[in-house]
Amino acid sequence: MDREAEFRRLYEANRAAVHAYFTGRTGDRQSAAELMQEVFLRAWQHQEKLADMPDERRRAWLFTVARNLSVDAHRHRHIRAGAEQALAREPSQPPQPASAEIIASERIAVVAEAIRRLPEPQRITLTMAAAGSMTSAELAAVLGVPAGTVRYRLSVARRAVAEALNRYDDPTQE
Amino acid sequence: MMSLDDDIAAWAATVRLPDAEAAALFQRIVATAAPPLAVAPPPGPSWWRDFTAGFAARMVSSTRPVRQAA
Repeated sequence: MDREAEFRRLYEANRAAVHAYFTGRTGDRQSAAELMQEVFLRAWQHQEKLADMPDERRRAWLFTVARNLSVDAHRHRHIRAGAEQALAREPSQPPQPASAEIIASERIAVVAEAIRRLPEPQRITLTMAAAGSMTSAELAAVLGVPAGTVRYRLSVARRAVAEALNRYDDPTQE
Repeated sequence: MMSLDDDIAAWAATVRLPDAEAAALFQRIVATAAPPLAVAPPPGPSWWRDFTAGFAARMVSSTRPVRQAA
């Protein structure tokens, strides 16, 4: 397999997971795309080293780079603060009889807000599971935590989202 | 009636990187210069022979006593 084809395989196998990781981390899809590009740029530059690794070690390598990039706390705090401010500016509209499309978009906004409010470990885990289509075992491997911890985080995060949706469906609650 | 999974999946679809954008990023990455594929091959036996002979000659000449002026 030539160099670019080999790299494409690595990219396609991992891009959704890496992007979901940064989305969970920064709360912003575009910033996540920029950080994802940086991770894969480094992978492209170290392809010789990666070529000898099995798939799971390559993925671990990618997430080590991703975590290191995330450590740039100022940058991400700034990005996240910007994203949160942008979200906070969006007016929250009271539920009213509306078309299915409007209801669907409102429900998405409720889910997004509930996820944004989650503690970071839960937010990252749920985002990677949902947007990155990763299993608990895969998440445990790349996040470096036991699978039980992943399942717990997912459970708590899902409960928080469910409660937010319940409040949306029945505003008389709470 | 949507299930919780449906709601989360609908949200996930809004934050996922679209394929076209991912493809553009890929092209941008591979357009950057990558390090050379392979390192230079190790020197062959003739190089080592020449090096050893040259090194030995330099050692001998450097340890030869300097001829005193008459």
